[in-house]
Amino acid sequence: MAEIVAAVGTTHTPGLLGWFANAPEDQQHAATAAFKRLREHLVAAQPDVLIIFANDHLLNWPINNTPEYTVGIGDRHVGPADWYDQWLARTEKYEAPGRPVLARHIVNEGARRGMSFSFLREMQFDDGISVPLCYLNPDMRIQTIPITMNCSLPPIPTPRRAYEVGRIMRDILHSYPGDERVALIGSGGLSHEPGGPRYFYIDEEFDRRFLELLAQGDHEQLFAECTLERMEQAGSGGTAELIAWFVVLASTRGPAQVVDYLKSYAWRCASGWVIWPEVLP
Amino acid sequence: MGNVERVDKTLLLNEVVFYVRKDAALRDEWRNNLRGLANRFGLSTAEYEAVRDADVRRLLEMGVHQYLVPHILRLNFGVTNMTNDHPALTAYQRAFPQESRAAIGGSKWDRTER
Repeated sequence: MAEIVAAVGTTHTPGLLGWFANAPEDQQHAATAAFKRLREHLVAAQPDVLIIFANDHLLNWPINNTPEYTVGIGDRHVGPADWYDQWLARTEKYEAPGRPVLARHIVNEGARRGMSFSFLREMQFDDGISVPLCYLNPDMRIQTIPITMNCSLPPIPTPRRAYEVGRIMRDILHSYPGDERVALIGSGGLSHEPGGPRYFYIDEEFDRRFLELLAQGDHEQLFAECTLERMEQAGSGGTAELIAWFVVLASTRGPAQVVDYLKSYAWRCASGWVIWPEVLP
Repeated sequence: MGNVERVDKTLLLNEVVFYVRKDAALRDEWRNNLRGLANRFGLSTAEYEAVRDADVRRLLEMGVHQYLVPHILRLNFGVTNMTNDHPALTAYQRAFPQESRAAIGGSKWDRTER
């Protein structure tokens, strides 16, 4: 049985890599400190594997065939993808080791539980996976399973659906014959509207309420207030990346620690970081 | 729901951009012979002209997915250091001055034409 040993949520705005220095210095310092805090938490939990859930920004799949979830089952993960590398100021590629046996177990056991995971042996990476990988696994030492999601092409799955997928994921990990220690990372948000008419918009009221509810640990109240409709209002096509956090939420219990929140116009995205101190066994 | 619901999944331009941005030769052709590339892929005149003019509002209105509009602008204007006053972002400010001003009006990035 694989054991979940840590759970965190983080923003992945591309500005954190591509145009980091254009933000005010205090925001640069705060973001660096927040990632350091999450990294220390992950290292202390001694995971064998990181599973990162993040939006696929229409990178791996064309618009005529976009799966809800895709698991990277390769034995190594190389990124960022061409074209995204200059954008993310990472022209030197990173290479993270994969965990193919566990990744393939997720795909196959998902199917046995009614969950259709697509998979790729060679996945391409944009900011959704690259930002958390570069900040939270900077030496690329920890084996990683990237799981990309559709958070942006209608019909966008609801937070409750993502939470249900998170429960299935936990069940799948429990069914694994190995004893790997697994850390879950939800990557996305907070409020932003990439490429929409309100490209520069940030909804601080939504963001702070979302983080407040996480800090209260009341999942039902989160479902009641942080609906897909409210996320779209807070920034269409971007804020709903937070459903990646709901996947992780399903393996946690109790209040989250809110590490920081930044209203970062320079990065065209509100940024947030949380740690869930208590994960479900 | 929000703007993302306005996407026309079947619009050919959405598929063309998906492939062009991943292929260095096609990116080069986009920059140097957009008309020829548009003809070869079968884009409509309206699609071609909206891309040529980097007309953000028209691209969104015809159903280009909002993620792919910035990709079109990056193909046109370059991809590095995407600050809010990069030509791709000033194109947004011109297309949606009211929305842009509400967020970054008065800042060092403000290029909205009042």
